Amino acid sequence: MNGQENFNYQQEMARLRDHFDFDFVGLALVQSIESRFELKWVFTMGNRSNRYRRIVLQTGKGIVGHVFKTGKPLLVEDAEKILGGKDLYNYPIIVAEGLKSFGAIALYEYNRVKGVLLVGYRTEEKLTLECFTEFKQVVGPTFGQFYNKEMVGN
Amino acid sequence: MKSMSEFQLTDLLMKMYGNSAEAIFFFDRTGKVLTMNSAAEFILNAEVLDSMAAGDAEAICMSCRGYTNEQELQTCISCYLKSPDEDFSSFQVYLDTKGKGVIPYTASYQTIDVENGIRVFMLRDLTKQYKTQEMLNQKLITKNIIKAQEDERKRISRELHDGVAQEVLSSLVELRVLKYMNVDAEVLKKVQQTEGSLMRLLDDIRHLSVELRPATLDDLGMEAAFRTHFKWMEKNYGLVVHFTAELDSKRYEGEIETVVYRVCQEAVFNALKYAGTEDLTVRLFEDDGYLKLYVIDEGIGFNLNSIHPKGTGLGLYGMRERAELVEGRTTVLSEPGKGTSVRLEIPL
Repeated sequence: MNGQENFNYQQEMARLRDHFDFDFVGLALVQSIESRFELKWVFTMGNRSNRYRRIVLQTGKGIVGHVFKTGKPLLVEDAEKILGGKDLYNYPIIVAEGLKSFGAIALYEYNRVKGVLLVGYRTEEKLTLECFTEFKQVVGPTFGQFYNKEMVGN
Repeated sequence: MKSMSEFQLTDLLMKMYGNSAEAIFFFDRTGKVLTMNSAAEFILNAEVLDSMAAGDAEAICMSCRGYTNEQELQTCISCYLKSPDEDFSSFQVYLDTKGKGVIPYTASYQTIDVENGIRVFMLRDLTKQYKTQEMLNQKLITKNIIKAQEDERKRISRELHDGVAQEVLSSLVELRVLKYMNVDAEVLKKVQQTEGSLMRLLDDIRHLSVELRPATLDDLGMEAAFRTHFKWMEKNYGLVVHFTAELDSKRYEGEIETVVYRVCQEAVFNALKYAGTEDLTVRLFEDDGYLKLYVIDEGIGFNLNSIHPKGTGLGLYGMRERAELVEGRTTVLSEPGKGTSVRLEIPL
């Protein structure tokens, strides 16, 4: 991928994980034309299952799909309360990783969402609104070659 | 017949009166109950019986909830008791019975002794017949609903696949032509992004079409349809399905293929939702004149006798309903901690 050499995503993700003590950090990016521009998980940290490797994310489906489609950050403080236990199977990563409290931000390039960064805890209501806001600040306006549109807009 | 003596006939009539499941009442001209059999006593509430014994001419009204005429299901207009001139040889009446609530009866109300104005009122419980009829109707309705659903899904799926998807594809091709024209780098980048969006859109439409009803099922049969579906499950949910088909791409009747496909889809979805496992085994084979489908997972399993199912509890019922459409049957074996296996067997 372009620009990946110049920026160490894993290192940056590890920095975020250590700073906030996240249980899970995952980065999904749009693949090259050879892979039909599929949206797939590229790096994950703290994963306890390899299920994510098999998954091709779809626009509008699941947490990442939702963020990818809307381009807006999404915070779920308590998965059980907000998503409901019944339809949780529509969020395979959340189920496989046992995430209870998580948030995701969209990563832009040339005015288009090119990736999604998902962070979360396996404890209910651990990722609060303040915590999520701070996370967005720590990420800063850019993440590698991507930028966080909200920050630019402000 | 002629040889039967008066005495024998009386004996038979008495036995019928005493042992029949039909409730029999005898009314006099004024509407008072002369006598009734044990079946009649059995269905009436105590206070009704008391007021009948007391000679109340309208005692039966305490239980009666009206009869069915052409205008209404339950009515008291031109009551059978009060209109002796009308034909009440067979009608439906609703009675509030002891312990069972309001239930419909087939009734007849006839004059058997014109001189003394004695009339007989006979009631036959209709609940059982109604239940049988209802079951029959239910089955027919289910069958039609399932068929209508499949047909409609097929139509929309074809429309998406042959219409919308084709249009998107041709736009995509036209967009690609731009790359070979003399355009500057900025435009080219934009074109490439649009190409990406369109390709994902095309994939989405195809998924939607397949999800509704796979064209492969009609065109290439179950095996191909299953392989596509399981691949899709893996991409979407990360669920790995170990699929073995021992049919050599044989084709079956359309209805059978649909049933097998839908039952399998449901069983696999159940495993995904509730088994808490990432892989499962599906076997499709022919044995002993039966087409068999096994869906086996080694997940958490569940208690078959539990009254509170996870989810709606309709899934297993739906599978059985579908199987019954082609005289097949489903068996579900499960035990907490030992996984679940769903079996479908269809006679060929």
